[in-house]
Amino acid sequence: MTETNNSLLSIKNLSTHFYTEQDLVKAVQDVNFDIPEGRTLAVVGESGCGKSVTALSVMRLIPWPPGKIVAGTITFHGQSLLDKTEAQMRQIRGNDIAMIFQEPMTSLNPVFTVGNQIVEAVKLHQHKSGSEAHSIAVEMMRKVGIADPQRRVNEYPHQMSGGMRQRVMIAMALCCDPKLLIADEPTTALDVTIQAQILELLRGLQRTHNMSIMLITHDLGVVAENADDVVVMYASRIAETAAAGPLFENPLHPYTQGLLKSLPRLGAKKDRLDVIPGSVPSPVNFPSGCKFHPRCPIGKDKPKCQGDEPPLLEVLPGRCTACWFAPGYEEKYKEMQASPGVPGRCDAE
Amino acid sequence: MRPVKGRSLWADGIRRLRKRNFAMICFGIVLVYFILAGIIFLDEVFNWNLKAFQWNEIVGPSYQAPMAEYTWTPEGQTESRTDWTLFGTDFLGRSTLRKTIYGAKTSVTVALCASFISLLIGVPLGAIAGYFRGWVDDVIVWFYTTLGTIPYILLVMAFAVVLRENAFGWEIRGITAVYLAIGLTSWVGICRLIRGEIIKRKEGEYVLAARALGCSNGRIIFKHLLPNVFHVIIINFSLRFVSFIHAEVILSFLGLGETDKPSWGAMIDAARTELARNVWWEMAAATVAIFFISLALNIFGDALRDCLDPKLRTD
Repeated sequence: MTETNNSLLSIKNLSTHFYTEQDLVKAVQDVNFDIPEGRTLAVVGESGCGKSVTALSVMRLIPWPPGKIVAGTITFHGQSLLDKTEAQMRQIRGNDIAMIFQEPMTSLNPVFTVGNQIVEAVKLHQHKSGSEAHSIAVEMMRKVGIADPQRRVNEYPHQMSGGMRQRVMIAMALCCDPKLLIADEPTTALDVTIQAQILELLRGLQRTHNMSIMLITHDLGVVAENADDVVVMYASRIAETAAAGPLFENPLHPYTQGLLKSLPRLGAKKDRLDVIPGSVPSPVNFPSGCKFHPRCPIGKDKPKCQGDEPPLLEVLPGRCTACWFAPGYEEKYKEMQASPGVPGRCDAE
Repeated sequence: MRPVKGRSLWADGIRRLRKRNFAMICFGIVLVYFILAGIIFLDEVFNWNLKAFQWNEIVGPSYQAPMAEYTWTPEGQTESRTDWTLFGTDFLGRSTLRKTIYGAKTSVTVALCASFISLLIGVPLGAIAGYFRGWVDDVIVWFYTTLGTIPYILLVMAFAVVLRENAFGWEIRGITAVYLAIGLTSWVGICRLIRGEIIKRKEGEYVLAARALGCSNGRIIFKHLLPNVFHVIIINFSLRFVSFIHAEVILSFLGLGETDKPSWGAMIDAARTELARNVWWEMAAATVAIFFISLALNIFGDALRDCLDPKLRTD
């Protein structure tokens, strides 16, 4: 759809491949989604489905060799990120788009104090003197909920707890007021109570800064609590996109259905938990046709699923899926075939 | 509330080092040499002319044995005196003890200057090779591998001879030729080491996080990665220091070092003819001096490596 998009970030047909010595790894294929201003998009999927590679592609942090963005467009604030030079991208990173990572211990430099590292983040993009940057650092630490920041600003990462370090990372990411925060499994390495605090902190900061968040996670509970929109990825492709509520009420893709069914429910009597049989395919050896078909209750034996890869189509307003047998998919596909001029690609609302 | 100073990994390492008494004694010995060297340097600059450092002063007749009394008439005087030296005198009647002390200054300054030159070349080259890999790495590795295949002593000698009078067009003193020769040929080890350490660390998450903040490659290498390998540089420095002292001694022994000031190597060189005349104290003094600093620095360097290495790794 070539209508003017008021989304903050718009990704269309993104494909990122890794050319290793042995194989070609297609880590991300044909990914489409949008993130509007001030909203949280959760990217969900199992390990190895391409969520982190998608995020690194947006930041253009894919190392070449061996990785390369081979197709697609990434538009941020109306500008194409793939056309920018490295120097221009360095201006954007940390400034307009920021990223926080999973392991706060290894994401912080062990030989510098946390204050020093936040000051560096400030000085990279703003012209501030040393003492100004220092007070900004202390203020940011206060904003992210670190008690007694005047004292803690001189501590080293190994002197702090995991939750504290993650707060420091958030402070570093937010100190230049980015419009988009990419959070790559920010709470996976933390225990549950701290997880809740960190996510609440992110929600609060999102409101005050009017920031969009791309939240990468494999935890559906986190998605339910924090996401406005959801993108479900499987084996380098998008399986389904929807707003959070409709996704949980009415999942369209068998993979999403399987994920939700396998969640244990409080109070339900069960002898065995439901599982999705099989395991995630290796990226060097994807199945033919629909990548989910070997594990799919619907598509296991159907030749259509084995033969052709279903494109991502918008079957309901604001809901896209890639499954031949999803309700409404067949009609939408015929529609798309009939009028080839109208691109059937799906944008998340 | 007053901000509390963070407890850095360095402070941890130093604290552990302080507990090792023997290593601290060795450090003390090394410090004595350095302090001596420093005082002699200042003495020459400010012309204090302290008695202990007047190596050129004739204190007795030629080749007096240590700790034996002798009577002699100093030049230009008529009265004879009875004197006593701790380490004897050399061919010209100068005090061996004073020459040995002065030799400390020669050795320490040569080793320091050569260390800095080799660090200045080896560390950046190693960091750049390790960080960028690809053809840059290939070129630098080829270069230092080739240089490293030439036997070290021959290489140093060759440089010392060529740099005798001038270095690349500039006139230099003899001692500078020694620094340059040793420094320009000794950077291969540290280069290899730093390259390995950088390769180990450059895929770390804090490097990715720094890139995500918008840091340039140069900034990442010099401000983020190198501080994490300082401990490797310091350990390498302390252990290589001894080999720089030895290199200077060898050069002086071969006559390629500084000829107008005393040095341990020159003293050992002179011993070649002296030993036939039963004059053993020149060589003994130089050897003892070299022995103590070598041993002390080796022990201290080992302790330093034990204390700094495991903790400063990120885990």
